[in-house]
Amino acid sequence: MSAPRGYIRWVARASMLGVCLGLAAPSVVAEESALVRLTPAQYERSIHDIFGESIQVDRGIVDPGVRENGLLALGARKLTLSAAALERYESLARQVALQVTDDRHRTTLIPCTPVAASAPDTACAAQFLSRVGLFLFRRPPTDAQIQSYVAMAGSASDTLDDFYAGLRAALVGMLVAPDFLFRVERTEPDPAQPDTYRLDGYSRAARLSFFLWDTTPDAELLAAAESGALDSTPGLYQQIDRLLSSRRMEDGLREFFSDMLGFDGFATLSVDASLYPKFTKNVADDAREQTLRTIAQHLLDRNADYRDLFVTRDTFLTPALAAIYGVPLPRSQELGGAVPWVPYRFPDNDPHVGLLTQISFLSLHSHPGTTSPTLRGKAVRENLLCQRVPPPPADVDFSLIQDTSNPAFRTVRQRLTKHRQNPTCAACHRMTDPIGLSLEVFDTSGVYRTTENGAPIDTSGTYRRQHYSGVGELAPLLRDDPAVTSCLVNRAFSYGTARMPSDNELGWLTETRTDLVEDGVTWRDLMRRITQNPDFYTNVAD
Amino acid sequence: MAAGLGVTAPNARAETRGYVISMIHTATYANEDTCPSGGNGDTVDIRTRRLLGAGFGEEAALRIIGNGGVDDDGNRVDITRLHGSSAEAGGQPWNGQPVSPGNVPALSADPGIESAQGRFAYGFDLDGEVSPDDFEDPDSHERGVDNHMWRALGCFDVYRIRRPVVPYNESIVWDTAIDAMPAWLMSVTGENLSQDGEVTVTFDRSLNVLLRDAHGGVMSGATFVIDPDPRSHSVFNGTIKNRILTIEPGDLALQGESQFYAVLRFTETHLRLQMDPDGSLRGILGGYQPWRDYYHYLAIRGENDGQVDLPGVYYAMARLADSGADPVTGENTAISAAYWLEAVPAFHATTSGEVVGQSVGNGPKFSGPAANRAPSPQ
Repeated sequence: MSAPRGYIRWVARASMLGVCLGLAAPSVVAEESALVRLTPAQYERSIHDIFGESIQVDRGIVDPGVRENGLLALGARKLTLSAAALERYESLARQVALQVTDDRHRTTLIPCTPVAASAPDTACAAQFLSRVGLFLFRRPPTDAQIQSYVAMAGSASDTLDDFYAGLRAALVGMLVAPDFLFRVERTEPDPAQPDTYRLDGYSRAARLSFFLWDTTPDAELLAAAESGALDSTPGLYQQIDRLLSSRRMEDGLREFFSDMLGFDGFATLSVDASLYPKFTKNVADDAREQTLRTIAQHLLDRNADYRDLFVTRDTFLTPALAAIYGVPLPRSQELGGAVPWVPYRFPDNDPHVGLLTQISFLSLHSHPGTTSPTLRGKAVRENLLCQRVPPPPADVDFSLIQDTSNPAFRTVRQRLTKHRQNPTCAACHRMTDPIGLSLEVFDTSGVYRTTENGAPIDTSGTYRRQHYSGVGELAPLLRDDPAVTSCLVNRAFSYGTARMPSDNELGWLTETRTDLVEDGVTWRDLMRRITQNPDFYTNVAD
Repeated sequence: MAAGLGVTAPNARAETRGYVISMIHTATYANEDTCPSGGNGDTVDIRTRRLLGAGFGEEAALRIIGNGGVDDDGNRVDITRLHGSSAEAGGQPWNGQPVSPGNVPALSADPGIESAQGRFAYGFDLDGEVSPDDFEDPDSHERGVDNHMWRALGCFDVYRIRRPVVPYNESIVWDTAIDAMPAWLMSVTGENLSQDGEVTVTFDRSLNVLLRDAHGGVMSGATFVIDPDPRSHSVFNGTIKNRILTIEPGDLALQGESQFYAVLRFTETHLRLQMDPDGSLRGILGGYQPWRDYYHYLAIRGENDGQVDLPGVYYAMARLADSGADPVTGENTAISAAYWLEAVPAFHATTSGEVVGQSVGNGPKFSGPAANRAPSPQ
């Protein structure tokens, strides 16, 4: 199969250099374009939106990327794409292209019929590739690009005596092109502000769509970009309103919180089955889904305050999750039927309150065989409060912490108290451990307990100078901490722009935080504020 | 007798603990004195005996078995035909067609299998008499134990075992069935189940199936909706003493939907379950079981999985049946039997969603089909 010249150059560069295509966010060079690689979910969703849900996408092939400053979305701008990764993309592209051009799909996905199925048809190929190119590249392909892909299709069709095989080859070329694998964000001079640059219309459309819906722009958004509507405030606001009112907001919300909460960790989560037999692979999947359902219902369906996720007792359960939480869940599951999701409210006297007591958080931030107040506290500090906890020094002696059989230190609180006598360790552990110790009544799998090694578990502590007896009293203190709102606002802005906010933007973010604390931290309001902020459509960090 | 509908309504202050049966299988207790004649062997032994009876030499018989039923001339030697169940082999036809001895065992001659002997077998004294052909329970040391099913089965290699090993056939069927079969439930109601006292024990079938844990065992703490079908509802007066749960004898019936247990029913049902600190129950369920029920389990699975001589078991059970005399023929229709039973904590609810049984305790680390993966007790 031959490939368009651009594709060949791209492969060669990536293969030979292992080139860092993400590049660091430009500082002052505002006119520079930026590249942000699609996440596995964005890749899959884009394919489904363009070609239909029946196209199978093995998203496991796509590298999830690296986390930076708390978000994979930030790492997506600084990715090195290896030759091996490019090969995986090509393999995936072949799978997709094969399906799109097969007998089942070609009649609906290819808008024309070739003159002969065994020969090239330049007109039909151009028609298909121009149309598909618009959606794959999120902007109209250039004439040169179309000519290159049409030539590629013709060459392959000629060689293989098969029009659709040629089309398939060209489509593979498009699917491995940087214009598809990366959001190519281009800037243009801002006529309203001399010497500054803004994203062009198509880049605005892509940024909006991936932020709010986690997918490629739809036809209406691309049309708005083409017409210049997105460059005007009314036109932009009209599209924002449209996107915000869609049910597809849930896709964007789920991906944002999956990133913010570090749910990529489920891919490598290890829980010792010999100690926690209830924690199955299905439970891990259910736990992830439980949290996302809880958040989606709270923020979208109920338009409730984000901060109340720390104290909500409303959630959804499956039979297996209920067994771990230790609560009854009568359900009318038909034999052999799908696993039911049942809306559930934990009773007021139940120890489970808020996201921190959900299995997803408890298991992700534990060791495989023991809980870890330090990891749990660190996750709260870093993921939910956007505070930085330094890594431990290289020469720390963990033997005391890890020895769970020492009769003198039966509980992890006792072991950590001893550990904190080392002043090198004390500073960080004072940040993390009190929060984590409040969750010690939940083991690694999330099962409630009252003792550890026969000793009663003490979950009390102090947060922002206020005493709490356990997570039930800590949760409202966290909810009322302005850092919670501040963290959400900063993370959402960073996630949407795939860059850290500039110093200038920090002021706006602080104001937004203040307003939201006053008015209520609702999701659509936050999304509206961010997407109506002109800074959202810039590529400059400072 | 069974408490049935006449059982006193539970006290309003009573607690009810729910359980789901995580494992049930024939209670085996093989000993050195169980099979003094050497036993009935395994599948190869059974087939070899049949081939010898059909005139093959021992070496030829073993070659046929090793070749998957094909003789030295390449001809298929049908074991069932050799057993005489077809017209060609001299057996009796059934509607003009050769039939399996498993399905119509009475067409075969009684091979006269060895029955289990010895001092010990699990179970209960069901008839209130201590006679020479009774056993002693190895755990409770109750004398006069009636367990004639053990006599019929105990000398096949597949049953010459003790826990935690489970009869192969019953093990794989249970492990397969529980993912699709409505679960079997137990509940215990009493004023204080942590103390000795009178209780009510109830068996029901659920509308839900069991959940698996990470070992492939049964997850405790799950919720089961009780099937209101009265055919699977049995209530007994019971007692807890020193953490041992027993019941007054009565009738038990549980409808099943597995290849093995199409139904589980007993008269003179006895129960002796230990209430473990982790909240689970384990012990012996016994009584008189219609012997054709158990034979039906075996026949459905066939001799390959069952690893028994089906006609041999058929005739042995018919001979050893010790209860339920048919008023017309006088033939006993039931056989004394004992099953090992385990149950883990579970919530019970009605079809309207009312929770009527609490799950108490976290259950064992290894349960149900995964129980034999637990480290052996030292």
